[in-house]
Amino acid sequence: MMALPKKRAISFEKRWSWLNKFGPLLALFLVFFFFAAFNSKIASFNALEIMVLQTVIVGVAAIGMTLVIISAGIDLSAGSIIALSSVVTALLMKDFALDPLVAALGGIAAGLICGLLNGLLITRLRLVPFIVTLGTLLVVRGVAKGLARSIPINAGQTWLSGLLALLPPDRKWMLIPPGAWLMVLLAIIVAGFLRYTKLGRHIFAVGSNEDTARLCGVAVERVKVFVYAAAGTFAGLSGLMLMSYQEQGDPTGAVGLELEIIAAVVIGGGSLSGGEGSILGSLVGAMIMTVIRTGCQLNGWPTWVTQAVTGIVIIVALAVDQLRHSKID
Amino acid sequence: MISRFVPYILCSLTLGFLSCNQGKNAQEELTIAVIPKGTTHMFWQSIHAGAVKAAQELDVNILWVGPEKEDDRQQQITLVDTQILAQVDGIVLAPLDDMALRRPVRTAVTNNIPVVIIDSGLKDSEDIYTSFVATDNREGGRIAARELARLIGGHGKVILLRYQEGSASTDNREQGFLEQIQEFEGITVVSDEQYAGATKAQAQQASENLILRFKASNGMLAVDGVFCPNESSTYGMLQALRRNHLAGKLKFVGFDAAESMIEGLRQDEIHGLVVQNPFRMGYLGVKTMVQHLRGEPVEKRIDTGVTFVGKEDLSRPEIRNLIDPNLEKWLAR
Repeated sequence: MMALPKKRAISFEKRWSWLNKFGPLLALFLVFFFFAAFNSKIASFNALEIMVLQTVIVGVAAIGMTLVIISAGIDLSAGSIIALSSVVTALLMKDFALDPLVAALGGIAAGLICGLLNGLLITRLRLVPFIVTLGTLLVVRGVAKGLARSIPINAGQTWLSGLLALLPPDRKWMLIPPGAWLMVLLAIIVAGFLRYTKLGRHIFAVGSNEDTARLCGVAVERVKVFVYAAAGTFAGLSGLMLMSYQEQGDPTGAVGLELEIIAAVVIGGGSLSGGEGSILGSLVGAMIMTVIRTGCQLNGWPTWVTQAVTGIVIIVALAVDQLRHSKID
Repeated sequence: MISRFVPYILCSLTLGFLSCNQGKNAQEELTIAVIPKGTTHMFWQSIHAGAVKAAQELDVNILWVGPEKEDDRQQQITLVDTQILAQVDGIVLAPLDDMALRRPVRTAVTNNIPVVIIDSGLKDSEDIYTSFVATDNREGGRIAARELARLIGGHGKVILLRYQEGSASTDNREQGFLEQIQEFEGITVVSDEQYAGATKAQAQQASENLILRFKASNGMLAVDGVFCPNESSTYGMLQALRRNHLAGKLKFVGFDAAESMIEGLRQDEIHGLVVQNPFRMGYLGVKTMVQHLRGEPVEKRIDTGVTFVGKEDLSRPEIRNLIDPNLEKWLAR
């Protein structure tokens, strides 16, 4: 008789952890079928390709942001880093006539440097991530505008342009643009890294309880620097994607995009108090926002509806998260 | 120890500067402060060049002082206040905000420093400022509508992709466009509810989704024309059309003239751009101020004009001057 309630509790807990894993995916399907009921065009191959295409810029940056949020941090400078990376890549191609591949690596390196700077400021000066990255948000944006003299840089067409563009008819067999495949590949690698490596587990440990992690011998500072450097690098790669999509280095691009990136992570199950989050969830979160935008625009609903619906989804995601926590506790 | 004297030194310096300045007034050598919204954009550099031209022609001094960013209201308010302290003879101002800049402008005028407003309006302040020198944005939208109607032969379906909520100048362009396009009975506006948003990437995404929405099963667009009311929305639409291999397949009228958009015009991907005249705005802003200071009557509202530029116009020298003014001639030292 005593065993029965215990058993029930376990299965209850299991059910919630199942929701934890597949909740965002379930939400994605719900949102998708909701819009498909209004307009079947959203289920066409063309529409799916466009939606994946429009998710990549946020999605790539969200991979890095997930690491930061799991470690109980935040990176507000992501949007500015994206703009800087797009400017650096375009400048290296246009003014220095470098090979597109070298220019792209230069843009990503710029992101890495910004990320390292964030990490070092946070660990060495013992400052709050929110404040440090709020500062670098302005610094990096300023540098991007300065480098570009505040005007967009037209770098011209190279193979980089094809990274994030609708597929030409003879390459439809690829299903989604090369940039999207790159995002999927990186997501699998980083998800594996988080789950199976020591450093990956340490990120969770730091985010769950920093003091305990330190007592257990985790090099907390080193983990943090790594996490911000990784976030900067992924933002840099995302900047390369922006540059490919827009075919311009844009110093005023991606303004406020950090909020969309953070929202993607949170919708995907990331917790701003740290210790929780998944790469798959974050990508699904980014996809949900794209589906809402595309769905509203396909139905000709005004822009304010799109924004309001996206806001509601973020709040519902957080509410479900909160509910789940209270049930498990 | 020295720090104790700093305020006194500053005070005496300021007083000395002020008296110097008043002395200059007596000699009839006018100093006019020109305060733009920003200093780096091509648009503002053209305004600067125009102001320099007027200053040279009319033999006055101009002070070119602008905020570093185009959205720093606080800094612009400080700049206006500083010019009042410095007792310039007049201020030519492009207000960053139609409400926030009213107080400093009023302070200037009560201190006998007249203000000419350029580029963007100041709300309910006709009795304060001397003159308003700017593009007639509503007319710009109307011109776009007339030209788009001509391009599609007077009947068909058109899209208006708006810029952003709360932007006064583009709001007027959108209203002017809708007003005028409704006069054509054969034309229906199939979408005017979408805003492109602040960045080009957002504009491009909104455009892609509009294209998806109006794409027929044969891959062609069920739309004949599109109008975008500023640089970022025009570029986003151009980029989305290109990547859907639809550029040039429908008539496209944009606003403003960035290098990338002129290229689109050359390639027949854009069929017309409505272009403002910032050089003329800077020139007439300073000229109007000088006329006022010299006791001549001036117009309360001066329209600096908008021009429709098609591909065939690109070779005309006056259009070339408009889209690529010789800034070095005026701004080089």
